[in-house]
Parts: sequence; structure tokens; C-alpha cells
Amino acid sequence: MTSTTTAAQGVGLLDREQLGHLRHWDELSRRQPNDWSLMQGKGTGQDDFGGYRFQLAYMVYGLALTHRHRLPAAPGLFRATIQRLIDKLLLPEVWLYWRDVSRGGSVFNAHLADRLHEEWDPVVRDNIMYSAYVQSCALLHDHLFADDRYAVPGSLTFRHWSFFWGGGEKRFPYDRDSLTEHLYWQMVRNGYIGIACEPNCVFQICNQPAILGFRMHDLVTGGSRADDVVAGYERAWADFGRLDAAGHYNMMLSEDSRAVRANEAPSPWVDAWCGALMNTWNREFVHEHYPSQVAAFLVPGPDGTCSVRSAPARQVMGQPVVTDTCDTGWVAAWASEMGDRATLDALLAHADRFMAPTWRDGALYYPRNDTPTDADGHRTDIEPMTGNVLLGYARLNVPDGLWGLYNRPWTAEHHAEPALVEVDRDVEVSRAEVVDGVLHARLRRETAVPGDGTVTIGRVPDGARLLVGGADVPLDGERVVVRVPDGPTVDVALLP
Amino acid sequence: MTAPPIRAAFDLVDHHGRAVTERTYRGSWLLVQFGFTSCRVVCPRALAKLSAALDAFDPPDGLVVPLYVTVDPERDTPGVLRAYLAAGHPRFTGLTGPPERIEAAKEAFLVFARRRPDPDDPDGYAVPHTAITYLVDPDGRPAHHWPDPRSADEITADLRRLTR
Repeated sequence: MTSTTTAAQGVGLLDREQLGHLRHWDELSRRQPNDWSLMQGKGTGQDDFGGYRFQLAYMVYGLALTHRHRLPAAPGLFRATIQRLIDKLLLPEVWLYWRDVSRGGSVFNAHLADRLHEEWDPVVRDNIMYSAYVQSCALLHDHLFADDRYAVPGSLTFRHWSFFWGGGEKRFPYDRDSLTEHLYWQMVRNGYIGIACEPNCVFQICNQPAILGFRMHDLVTGGSRADDVVAGYERAWADFGRLDAAGHYNMMLSEDSRAVRANEAPSPWVDAWCGALMNTWNREFVHEHYPSQVAAFLVPGPDGTCSVRSAPARQVMGQPVVTDTCDTGWVAAWASEMGDRATLDALLAHADRFMAPTWRDGALYYPRNDTPTDADGHRTDIEPMTGNVLLGYARLNVPDGLWGLYNRPWTAEHHAEPALVEVDRDVEVSRAEVVDGVLHARLRRETAVPGDGTVTIGRVPDGARLLVGGADVPLDGERVVVRVPDGPTVDVALLP
Repeated sequence: MTAPPIRAAFDLVDHHGRAVTERTYRGSWLLVQFGFTSCRVVCPRALAKLSAALDAFDPPDGLVVPLYVTVDPERDTPGVLRAYLAAGHPRFTGLTGPPERIEAAKEAFLVFARRRPDPDDPDGYAVPHTAITYLVDPDGRPAHHWPDPRSADEITADLRRLTR
């Protein structure tokens, strides 16, 4: 018997660091509303690349990749965490920046100021740097868990009301279908060149998550929106070129003038972020250009370590541009998607040596540090997006991980297999896969966090036999609750 | 697939020079394609595909009216449209009009088109455009759309199903 989850075979058990990142993401997802501690970056007002929306969304992407490729039989480990992260993604603190950014005023759209106006609905026009993440995260959830949670009308509602200002409640209800439909027709209206982030600024990077979202929507509901959009996108960008004259990804295009802005500096994040995401639908192209692109950004360090050289901070209108570039994190994520193990290991070794890896109750992160280098010139600067999210994402991803999510979707057969459908907060899962019809799991109780220490195995076939630590456990029905003993890891096997 | 969120509205002239609006064609299904006669790749391919789909469907007279709306009104006069369509795509009726009315039609149908320099064009410009085909029902309501990658066979099958 062949399993639909055999993708997990060969990737091995999750190691201590990978489990630490998962624990950290789970902990961040459980924070009280508007407790953003450890997540605050350099920028003001959530308008830069280190914003909460990116951290939340790429935790969801990282969880999706881990579930798809490493722990396919543990939906219960991921489902609630992803839902909590999406809940946070919908909080006004995450999207309220759009009320201001929608009015324009950047150097790229200053001439449009008379035409632009304050817009409260964060997805109704432009702002693909937010809307595509809401769309793709909701659809990743519904695809991976064969669920219709975000098909419910109003399940993706943006609302804000303050006792202190602003008048009545602002409420904008969407769901996975209405949001996808809305984004698709914005694409059509723009000739498939893409939807703008800030007004007039169409970034290649930020339209890739929407394509992933369209693909997930096609998988969930049928249709071929992703193929249609990719075909239109390819044709539209053919006039401008995906790459600039130096071989780096063109960063953005001005919607009105059709002027393309190259990756001039070049900035590592532009190539890395774009390449990692575009690999979903354009694998050969991305792989072909990766070696020469990444070589421009890597700085060899001691003992096989390697760091990322950021471009100097830009000066615009006499002001230094303050932003979290997340260069280290994006290059690591890109290397993981490209299967460049040597570069990824060297970057992670640098982070572990020079960027203060921090463990707290089983959770691993690298705290923000604005100091550029140590006394010996080794890069120490790290942003919350890199330290909370992207280094973990890179550790947990597999070669062509996003490509696999896009091109090798799960089928109904996968969702019929036995699985860990509920996992308590204090249970660590380092293996969960079905091999030749047998569910294998490796579990450990983490005593540093609260919880009941159980997992629930669902979809148990009639006549199955359950072994926990080699001992038979009686079964009665299609669900069974397993108590994970304190102490070392325990292996669980459910035999058909 | 839900109905496209367009307003199927226009106020133009057909390739015989007659004033037409969407109401002119009430009672027929409208198959609407935007483009321009100097288009070298997208329009010839789309019109050939749609003509093949209509040939295979072979609707009775008046059931479906195929319209080709120019996004290049400066060059595509009624006469130019008439000659172009008669030569290769005789099922289609061309529509043109003053630039501001073409803009209004583009806006209503969510069609993107923008003039840009093209050194290979005798007049030095092209008008890249959205290559979506719309179907409007006999009451003037948007009914369906086909993105450019849809094949003639798929369009024929959809036409059979939708116009039944």
C-alpha cells in the first residue's frame, strides 16, 4: 500500500532547532490581542517589510510547508495555530496602516495625491502586500485541512471601532471566495501586471502570494484562476522583463508611467523574496538564475559561516529610509527553497554564532538587534521578521517546498488517512507520517508549557492496532486519545 | 465561476456607422472581445479561436452576436474595422467611437489597454490590452468570461451549456 503522505519519508525527524521554531510560532500565536512583544521592528506604523502582517503570514507559510512536507499526519499540530495567526492577521493593528498609506505621498505617487483618498477597507484597492496574505493564508488552511472555515460569509472580516475617535464601526466582510474574486478582477483590470502595494507601486514580489492563493482556491473550489493569472502575468511582464540589466529581479513598476524600477543596489531581499515565492510556478527560471544572483550577496565568514551583505540604507528626499530589510532571513528562505544546503547551513551557522539564539520554554528565536556588526565586523543586525520567522521557515522548508505545495497538492486520499487530529499545547511532535498504511508518530511531553499532554488520533480504521512505546493500547471507535508520558520521546504506531 | 463584475454597457458605432448601445442587441447573447486591428499576435489568435468556437457551436441566426470593440479608435474607424473583420472574421461586428466613449466602455468591462511605442508598428505604437472574452445574456446581464488561455473547444462547450 502506498501512502499519499510519503513526501515526508526521507526528510527525517524534526531536530531540536526545528521543534524550537515551531514552539516559538505557537507561542506567538497565543499572545493576547495586541501583544506584539518580540515582533516590533524598526519601522513606524506597520508600513515596512518587517510589519506584523509579514511575520504572521510567513509563520503560516512555514507551518504549511512543515505540515505538507515534514509532518503530514499531524494536522492537529498546525490547524489551531494557523487559525490563531489568521485571527491576528485580521486585527486592525495589522492593517490600519492602510488608512494612511492609501492616501499616497511616497515619492512614487506624490503626483497622484489629488486623486487618492483615505481608504479604510484594507483590501478593496491596491495593498496586495496585505490582501494577498489574508487570501493565501486562509486558502492554505482550507486546502491543507480540507475545511471550509473561510468559505463562511464574513469569515474574513476587517472591523474597527474606537470609543475615542473615528465615528461608527468600520466593517468590511469578506471570505475566501469573495476576496479571491475581488483580487482576480483587480488583476484583470490592471492587465495582469499585478495589483499595487502602495498606490501606483506594483511589486513583483507581492503579487506572488496572490498567485499561490489563486492556486489554492483552484484546488479547493475548482477552476483555473492561477493558470489564467500566470499566463496574463507572463504576457504583461514580457514587455518589461522579469530581470533587470544586471540579472536581478526587477523590483517594481509604476502603474501609471509603466516605468520599471530595477533592483539597483542590488538589495538581497528583492531577489531572495521574489525568487523564493516565484519558484511556485516558475521553477526552472528561478533555479537557473539563483546561483549568480545569490553570489552577489554572500560574505564568507569564519569556520564555514556565511552572512548576507545588505545594500546601504537609501537616502530619499533627504531622509534615510528606515526599514527592516530582513536580508538575512530572506536569503536563508530562498536558499532553502532552492535546495542550496551549503549556503543555508552556512547562514544558519552564522546566525547561531553571531545572532544570539535564544531559548525560552522550548521555543527558539533570534532577538532583534540593531547593531550592525560586532567588534570583529561580523554581522549582528537582525530583525524580528528574520529572527522570529524566516530562519525558522528556512530550517523547516524542504528543497522546492513551495513548489511542492503548489504543484503536488494533497488529494482526498490523504485526508482519509489516520492522523493526529488534535495535539495539546505541551506535546512535541517530531514525526507524523503514514508509511504503507501505518501511522508513525514520535511524541514528547514538554513540561515547560501548560497542557493536558494528550494527542487525539482520528480516522482510525476498523480493526486497527495501536502501539504506544511498544505497548498495545485498546481502541474503541474511530478516535482515540493518547496520553503522552513524561520523560523521553515515545513512538506511536497505528497499524491497519 | 461567478458572473464577471462588469457593467456591460457601451455607447458606440458599429462598423457600418450606426449608433449602437448594449440595448441595441437585447434579446441576443453578446460575445464581446476588445482589441485593435493592428494587433499582430493576441487579436488574430483570439478572433480565430472565437470564430472556430462559433463555427463549431453554429448558433441559429440572432442567438449570439459577436462584437469586437476597438481599443484603438484613432486608427480603427468603422471602415477599417469592417474591412478587417470581413477579411478574416466575418461573424464579428466591429464597434468603435470617440476616445472618451471607448474609455467608458473599457471601464465598464474592466478592460485594460494602454498605448505604448512599438518600433515594429508602421505607426510606431501598439495598444496592449486585456484579452478576456465576455458573454452577456439577452437581458444585458454579464453571464460569463473566458480568459485568453481558454480553448475553442471549451468555449464551444460553455456556449452550448449557457445559451440553452
